[in-house]
Amino acid sequence: MTDGIMTLGAGVLGLGIVTLAGGILLSFAAKRFRIESNPIIESIDALLPQTQCGQCGYPGCQPYAKAIISGESINRCPPGGQNTVDRLADLLGLPTTPLDADPEAASQDKVAVIIEEDCIGCTKCIQACPVDAIIGAAKLMHTVIFDQCTGCDLCIEPCPVDCIKLIPRPLRKDHWIPASPPLIATDRSSPLAIKHG
Amino acid sequence: MVKLRVRQQKSFLRGGIFVEAHKAESTQEPCTFIDTPKELIFPIHFSGGGPGKILIKIGQAVAQGTPIIECKSGILHAASRAGHITSIEPRRVVHNSQALSPCIVLKTDGSNRQENNLTPISLPLDISEIKERARAAGILGLGGAGFPSHKKWEEKVHTLIINGAECEPYLTADDTVMQIDTHSMIQGACVLASALNVKTIVIGIEDNKPAALHQIKKTILASQADHSFEIVVIETKYPSGGERQLVWLTLGVELPSGLRPVDLGILVHNPGTLAALARALDGKPTTDRIITITGEYIGRPRNVIAPIGTPIRHLLTSAEAKFDCITDITVGGPMMGFNSTALDAGITKMSNCLLANSIKKYSIDPCIRCGYCAVACPVQLQPQQLYLALSNDNLERAQHEGLDDCIECAACNNVCPSHIPLAEWFRLGRFQNREATRNKQVAASARIRFEARTMRLDRLAQEDASKRVARREQTTDALVKARKLREKNTP
Repeated sequence: MTDGIMTLGAGVLGLGIVTLAGGILLSFAAKRFRIESNPIIESIDALLPQTQCGQCGYPGCQPYAKAIISGESINRCPPGGQNTVDRLADLLGLPTTPLDADPEAASQDKVAVIIEEDCIGCTKCIQACPVDAIIGAAKLMHTVIFDQCTGCDLCIEPCPVDCIKLIPRPLRKDHWIPASPPLIATDRSSPLAIKHG
Repeated sequence: MVKLRVRQQKSFLRGGIFVEAHKAESTQEPCTFIDTPKELIFPIHFSGGGPGKILIKIGQAVAQGTPIIECKSGILHAASRAGHITSIEPRRVVHNSQALSPCIVLKTDGSNRQENNLTPISLPLDISEIKERARAAGILGLGGAGFPSHKKWEEKVHTLIINGAECEPYLTADDTVMQIDTHSMIQGACVLASALNVKTIVIGIEDNKPAALHQIKKTILASQADHSFEIVVIETKYPSGGERQLVWLTLGVELPSGLRPVDLGILVHNPGTLAALARALDGKPTTDRIITITGEYIGRPRNVIAPIGTPIRHLLTSAEAKFDCITDITVGGPMMGFNSTALDAGITKMSNCLLANSIKKYSIDPCIRCGYCAVACPVQLQPQQLYLALSNDNLERAQHEGLDDCIECAACNNVCPSHIPLAEWFRLGRFQNREATRNKQVAASARIRFEARTMRLDRLAQEDASKRVARREQTTDALVKARKLREKNTP
């Protein structure tokens, strides 16, 4: 009888010590290895298209990501399209909402191009570009680095001679889209059946 | 002393299908040179590598073997016949895309001028010398993928496999190389094996090529090579000639997902590539290749030796094709090739077959989950599951099912009772996957640039502010000093 109580007591005591030690360790780790940035902001930022266009009303994608966790609506990113809204809704557990823009205009992939004959070298577009994709110097011609341009259109407005226009992004030469094979309607099951499978 | 062993395959292909070979049609006639076409077309873009550097000018006269393009991997591509460059203009190319791509157009003059910038080099050779020569002579994998061969010649290589399986129906180009170019092929293999310290050269060959097998045996026994050769006769079953499949069949080694054979020290080469290497060491750059022209609309199906850049139409004419029946042509075999309507495009080093067949159109029915495709898949995927994922736009799920391991062999297409073009779905999926990865990289780079710019602007603003403060202090100091001076001077 006493033996049983002793064993029980030793067990409770032993486990108690272990859990206490674990608790102390965890509380120490929580203080010591505290991550300053908010991981949610980073996962939201990773879903945004990084065009840094400011069409959402914030100066760049990360500021918008910050605004989203403090309650901004998730449908304000036209370059990301409906797809981004859906994925944000999925991440944050919010109901998905239609995109707050014309989906046709939003889905086009564009780049800025400077009409070089007309450029007067005022550097205004260089200052406006959020990703430093325009090169040039005062009173010298400017040009856009196509590969770095996100097509955000922030350089259009400041140009005093209107020599910047947006064109559809030229296709890469190794780019080809295999023909989409015909689909049997019944093979598209309800999205629920497969989405998280 | 040469050692030769002929043996059966070590292991059996899992999955795979038996298909009608249709190889007899194109092997009835001997392989010959074709008449030099009036025009040769060389695209300056290479698969994956982007545009090459153009080494010639419009109007320049070139000889056979003059380098005209240097592609991104450093490989020099030579003019395949003498003539002069008439233009560099957008043309249709042998590619799935319908888009035009810039091409060098060469008008041949029928003369026999040769460029002699490469001299024959004598043995024994260091691997770096061979690499340099392969680069200068334009050696690419002639099997179909066009991988720069010299990039595979790494120190750790211990086995060289010659891929003579040619499992794809209709194709007999490799078979022809192994019959008429056996000597060069063995010589190329020996030089490479000596330079890389490879002891055993393995030749994998399907059992439906007895003539080639006989020829190879004879050549090896007659050669003075001191390597040991192993000829592995494998069962005729598609796709035994896939790189991974052949390594498994000949050596019994299964490659882990994502690794290439060379990562395990196994080098796999097409017979044509090795023959081209032997010629390169003799000072002759790759200007020609053996190509099969076959199919039901071809009057004289056969193999020909054609200059690189020959327009497809010229090849079809020489094979007496029935042009009024042909709307498009399959470049490559019926399983893995692609259809192209660009009959005026020039063939590339990778084109191994032109196939003119009537295209059978089946009505596509729903997937009935019969599982035949899973049995046929040589990499043990579940094509029906992949299809389910891809047709529901779920790339993540498809990747989870092993989309990246699909070799696009189309064995699943062939057994599907509903005629679903499974391989096309997988090709599309893999393409979308690559695009998604690319877009992610682009977005990441934009973010880095945006963050760098924000930091720079902040720093500049701070510097401005501190400068302003410093200036104000300076001015205040000066004022104080001036006042003190004035007070001192005024009594």
